[in-house]
Amino acid sequence: MYPYILPCIVILSVAFYLLGARRANSIAVFYGGTKNLHSLPSHYGLYSAICCALPPILVFVLWRIFEETFITSSLSQSLPQEYLTLSANELTLVYNEIKNVALGGFGANSSNQVIKDAATLYLANLHSARNLVCALIVVLGIIPPLFALKHISKDLRARNIVENIGMAVLIACSAVAILTTVGIVLSVIFEALHFFKAVPVSDFLFGLKWSPQVAMRADQAGSSGAFGAVPVFLGTFLIASIAMSVAIPIGLLSAIYLSEYATNRTRTLVKPILEILAGIPTVVYGFFAALTVAPLIRDIGTALGCSVSSESALAAGLVMGIMIIPFVSSLSDDVIHAVPQTMRDGSLALGATHFETIRNVIIPAALPGIVGSILLAISRALGETMIVVMAAGLSANLTFNPLTAVTTVTVQIVTLLVGDQEFDSPKTLAAFALGLLLFIFTLILNIIALKIVRRYREQYE
Amino acid sequence: MKIKAICAAGALALIMSSPAMAARHYISIVGSSTVYPFATVVAEQFGKTSGFKTPKIESTGSGGGFKLFCGGVGVKFPDISNASRAIKASEMKKCAANGVKEIVEVKIGYDGIVLANAKSGAPLKLSRRDIFLALAKQVPNPAKPGELIDNPYKTWKEVNPSLPNTPIEVLGPPPTSGTRDAFVELAMEKGAKTFDFIKAMKKKDKKTYKKICHTVREDGAYIEAGENDNLIVQKLQANPKSIGIFGFSYLEQNSDVIQGSLIEGKAPTFEAIASGDYPVSRPLFFYVKKAHVDVIPGMKEYLDEFTSEKAWGNDGYLADKGMIPMPNAERSQYKADVKALKTMEMK
Amino acid sequence: MSTTKNNLLTPDKALKKRYRAEKRFQRMGIFAIFISLCFIVFLFTTIITDGYTAFTQTYIELDVHFDKKYFMEENLANANFPSLVKHSLYAMFPQVKSRRDKKMLKKLISPAAAYTLQQMVKDDPKIIGSSKKIWVLADDDVDMMIKGKINRNLNNQNRRIKDLQLAWIDTLIKEGKLEKRFNTQFFTSGDSREPELAGILGALAGSFFTLLITLSLSFPIGVATAVYLEEFAPANKWTDLIEVNINNLAAVPSIIFGLLGLAIFINFWGIPRSTPLIGGIVLALMTLPTIIIAGRASLKSIPPSIREAALGVGASKMQTVFHHVLPLAMPGMLTGTIIGMAQALGETAPLLMIGMVAFIADVPASLTDPAAVLPVQIYLWADSPERAFTEKTSAAIMILLAFLISMNSLSVYLRKKFEIKW
Repeated sequence: MYPYILPCIVILSVAFYLLGARRANSIAVFYGGTKNLHSLPSHYGLYSAICCALPPILVFVLWRIFEETFITSSLSQSLPQEYLTLSANELTLVYNEIKNVALGGFGANSSNQVIKDAATLYLANLHSARNLVCALIVVLGIIPPLFALKHISKDLRARNIVENIGMAVLIACSAVAILTTVGIVLSVIFEALHFFKAVPVSDFLFGLKWSPQVAMRADQAGSSGAFGAVPVFLGTFLIASIAMSVAIPIGLLSAIYLSEYATNRTRTLVKPILEILAGIPTVVYGFFAALTVAPLIRDIGTALGCSVSSESALAAGLVMGIMIIPFVSSLSDDVIHAVPQTMRDGSLALGATHFETIRNVIIPAALPGIVGSILLAISRALGETMIVVMAAGLSANLTFNPLTAVTTVTVQIVTLLVGDQEFDSPKTLAAFALGLLLFIFTLILNIIALKIVRRYREQYE
Repeated sequence: MKIKAICAAGALALIMSSPAMAARHYISIVGSSTVYPFATVVAEQFGKTSGFKTPKIESTGSGGGFKLFCGGVGVKFPDISNASRAIKASEMKKCAANGVKEIVEVKIGYDGIVLANAKSGAPLKLSRRDIFLALAKQVPNPAKPGELIDNPYKTWKEVNPSLPNTPIEVLGPPPTSGTRDAFVELAMEKGAKTFDFIKAMKKKDKKTYKKICHTVREDGAYIEAGENDNLIVQKLQANPKSIGIFGFSYLEQNSDVIQGSLIEGKAPTFEAIASGDYPVSRPLFFYVKKAHVDVIPGMKEYLDEFTSEKAWGNDGYLADKGMIPMPNAERSQYKADVKALKTMEMK
Repeated sequence: MSTTKNNLLTPDKALKKRYRAEKRFQRMGIFAIFISLCFIVFLFTTIITDGYTAFTQTYIELDVHFDKKYFMEENLANANFPSLVKHSLYAMFPQVKSRRDKKMLKKLISPAAAYTLQQMVKDDPKIIGSSKKIWVLADDDVDMMIKGKINRNLNNQNRRIKDLQLAWIDTLIKEGKLEKRFNTQFFTSGDSREPELAGILGALAGSFFTLLITLSLSFPIGVATAVYLEEFAPANKWTDLIEVNINNLAAVPSIIFGLLGLAIFINFWGIPRSTPLIGGIVLALMTLPTIIIAGRASLKSIPPSIREAALGVGASKMQTVFHHVLPLAMPGMLTGTIIGMAQALGETAPLLMIGMVAFIADVPASLTDPAAVLPVQIYLWADSPERAFTEKTSAAIMILLAFLISMNSLSVYLRKKFEIKW
C-alpha cells in the first residue's frame, strides 16, 4: 500500500474535483444555471480537490521527515542496556547497521544477534507504522473533502478560497529568493566572524599584503601570515577589467551590428552561435586559458622583449572576456531593441547616417540599460572561478601590470578550502571572510545596476 | 492550473526522493588530493572484485578531509580520511571532542617530490643548498657571512656557477598544500642547514630558524601554481626554462616530455626513492574511524585490500601507479596494526 | 543605408567622411562578431582534434584456456583471474622467459581484462574447461602508442613503451591480434582509474539526476515567483527587496552557493554529501534567478490588451493570469529555463564545496546515490596523471558541449516556433 499512496492521493483528488464540479452543477440547475453561483463549477471542484489533497500531503511530508526518528526511537526501547549509553551520533551508526541488515544492503550481514533481532523488529515496526500512516492518509483524503462537498452551496466563495491559496503559494515561492540570500549570509558570516576574531577587520580590509603562509603544524614557523585583502581584490579587479575591456567592445559592437545592420537571416544564425560562448563550461575555458593562451602571450611577450609571467593576468582576463561577450551582447541587444523605433526614424529623417543615429540617438537612449548590463557582466567576471583557478596564479601581487601573475578572491577561496592545512586555522576561515566581502561587493554593484536600469525604464514606458 | 500541477508534481518528486530511508552501504572516504589517485585504484579494485559497493572518494585536501572526518561518529561522517601529512595533535583533540576517540593510522607508502623541467631544456643538477638559495625568502649574505639578506638571486648561475644561466622560475604548490610543506622541510631546511650559522641557530632560536628555512620567496621567482599537477607539467612544456615541483607519478607518466632534476646527484627514479637515496619524499597516510569498521559494510575488506601485497607491495598495482612502497618490515608492521585495529595514542 | 538614394547634391567632403565613418563602424561590428566566431571555431577544433581518438580503443586478442585449476574455489568470483590473463599471454609469447620480460609483457594488457573474464565466467560458468579467443582491452600505454600519442622515435629510456614491448606489439599487429575498435566502454561504464576502462555513463547519469532535481525545483518556483512579481506584487518595499535580491543572486559567484549548500543543506539539514539531491538543490537555487528574470521578461512582453480583454469579460486577476497571460508567456519561460538548465549542467565551482568532486565508479541509480556530474568528471580526469586521460577529458568535453548545444538549439527552436510578434 505504502508505495502507492501518492498515486492514491492523486486519484482521490481528481475524483473529488469531478465530484465537486458535479455537485456545483447540480446545485446550479436548481438555481437556474451556473451564472447564479458565486464561482465557476471548476472552482468548487478545485476547492474539494484541495481539501482532499492538502491534509494527506501534509501528513505524508511530516511522516517522511519524522519517519526516521520515529522508527529508531521505537527501536531504542528494545535495544539492550549497553547501547543506550552510547552518544546520539554513535547510535546513528548502530541504526545504520540495523537498517543495512533489515533492508538487505550490500553484503550487510551481522553476526550480532541483537542487531539481527533489532532488524526484524525494525522491519515489523516500519511496516505497521507505514500501514497506519496509509490508513490515516486515506481517512484524511476522504473525510474533509466529503465535508467540503456538503459545504458547497450557491454562496460558497470557492473562487476566493482557491485563489487565496494560490496567492499564498506564489508569495511563498518568491520568498525563496530572500531565504537564499539569508542562507548565504548566515552560512558565511559565522566563520567570517571567527576569522575576524583572529585577524582584525581593519587589517583584513586595508592590509596591503596577502600571504596566508601561517604555520601548518605547531612545530613549524610560517612566514608573515598576512591577511590583507587589498592585493587579492586588486588582482580580481585587474583580471575583471581586462575581461571587460575585451567583452565590452566586442559585445557591444556585435550587439549593435546584429540589431541595427544585420539581415534577419544573419541575426538568427549568429545570435545563437554567440550564445554558445556563454554555455561552454568554464572548466573548458580554464584549460584553454592555461594551456593555449598563456604560453602564447608569454611567447609574444618574450619576442617583444618584456618578461611575461606564465600565469599572467592577461591570459585569464582575455579568456574570461570572451566568455562574458554573450552576457554583454544579449543584454545590450534587448536594451537597444527597446529603444522606440520613432527615435530612429526621427534621426534618420533629419538626414543622419545610420552610424550617427546609433552614436547620437540610440546609444545615449540605451545607455543606462547598457551600463546596467555591463555592471551585471562585471559581477559575473568578479565571481568567475574555474578559469582563474586554472589559469591565474596564487601569488598576491600588489600590481596593475597585466603581465604579472595575480590572484583572485575566488581562487583564494578554493585553495584555502581544499588545501591540506589545519581546518580551523585562520587560513581556512579567511575563505569565508573573502566570500562575505565578495558577496557584499556584488550586492553593491547590483544595487547600482538596478537603480540605473530602473531610471532608464521610467524614461521610455 | 497547469503550473500548479507541475509545482505539485515537482514537490512530490522531491518528497518521494527524500533521503530518510536510504541506509549508507558504501564506504565514504575523504581527504588529500595526493593520496586520491592511489586510494581510487584500491577502491576500484575492491569494488570490482569484492561484491561490495565501490567506496566513494572525495578529493578535499588533507585539512578539509580531517574537518569532515573529525565531525563525529555516525553515518553522515566519512569513515576514512586520506592525508598527505600526519594528523596533528590539535586535530586529534577536535576529533576526540566530537566523539571520534579511536583512530587507526595507516601509513601506505611514500610519494617522491620531484623538481623537473622540459626535455627541451638542459637537465639540472641541484644540491639542496642550491634549492634553498634559489627559493628561500632570506639567504645568507655572500659578502658578509652570518648575515641574512632578501634573496638577491635572479638566475641559477648566480646561485651556483655550475648551473645554467637561466632565470629562476619555479612552479610549485601553494602554502596550503601538503606537498609544499614536505618540500620545504625536506629540501629547503636541509639546504639551509649546510650553513653553519643557520644550523647553530636551531638550538638557540628555533622559531627564527624555522622561519629562515621554511619561508619561500614571494617576489615572483616562485610561482604558486595550484594543485593541478598536470597543468604544471604542461606549463613546463610551454616554458622550457621553468622548473616545476610535483609528485613523482606525474614525472613517471610524462617521462617523454619532462625530466627530473638530479638532487644531490641522485635522479628521481622509482628505485632511488624507494631505497631512500633520493632525499625528497614524504609519507602518505590514511586514518580509519574504528567505530565504523564493523558497521559500514566492506570496511574490513577494504582495509585488507589496501594492505595486501598485491596492492601496496613492491610489485603491487599501487607501485605501478607511481606510489613508492614502504620497506618490507614497515609494511608488515602496519598490516598487523590494521588487522588488530590498533588505535593511535592520544598525544 | 537609404541616405544615398535621393541624393541631389554631389557628395561633398564632409558627407564622404560621414559615409566612411559609417562603413568603418559596420566593419568594426563585423570584425567583433568575426573574432567571437573565430574563437569558437578554434576552441572546437582544438577539443575535437584532441578528443576524437577517445572514441576508439585498442583491443588485443587472447587465447584463453579456462583451466579448471583456476576455479577450485567455491566462489567463482574469487578465482585468480589476473593470473589467468597473465598465463594466457605468456602462452602467446613462449619465447619470453625472464621474469623482467614477463613483467613487461604483462603490461601490454589492461588490468581490466581480468574483469572481462570474471564477467564471462559469471555469465556462463559452463565456459570453465574450454578454450576461447577473447578480445580484451590493451593497456592505456599501448593504446596511446597505437594512436600515435607516444613517439616511437624517442630513445628507449624516455619512452613508456620499451623496445621489447614495441616488438611484441608489432608482432600482434602482424598477426591481426591487435586492433582498434569503437569504444563502447566509454558510453557504458562509470569512472575508473584505468583510462582504458573509464566511461562517461556514471557522470551522465549523475548529471541527469541532478538536473532532474534542479528542474523540478527551480521551474515551478521560478515561474511562480515571476508571475507574482510581474502580475500581482504591490509596489512596495517588500517587492523592491525581492527584486534587488533576485538580481543580486543572478550575479552572486557560483562558488558562494556551494558554501551555502555546505552550511545549510549538508550540515544543518543533513542531506547526504555527494548526491544528486544536494547538487540539484544547490544548482536550483543558482539557476532560479535566471529563470525568474527570463520569466518576467516574457510576461512583460505580453501586451496589456490581453489582460484588459480578459478582465473586461469578468475574469478574476488570477484567472486572467493563469488562463490567458501565462500560456502565452510559456515559450519564453521555457527558453529561460532551458538556458538555466544548460548553465547548471556546465557548473563546477559550487559542487567543489558539496563533495561532488569525488571518485565514484558505480553508475548512480537513484537521487541519493553518490554521483559525479559531467563537468566534475572533466575536472577530475584533467588532473589524473595518466596520459591517456587527456583524450578522455577532451571527449567528455565534446559530449558535454553536444548536450549544451542541443539544449541551446532547443531553446532557439522554441523561441522561433512560438514567438509572437504583437
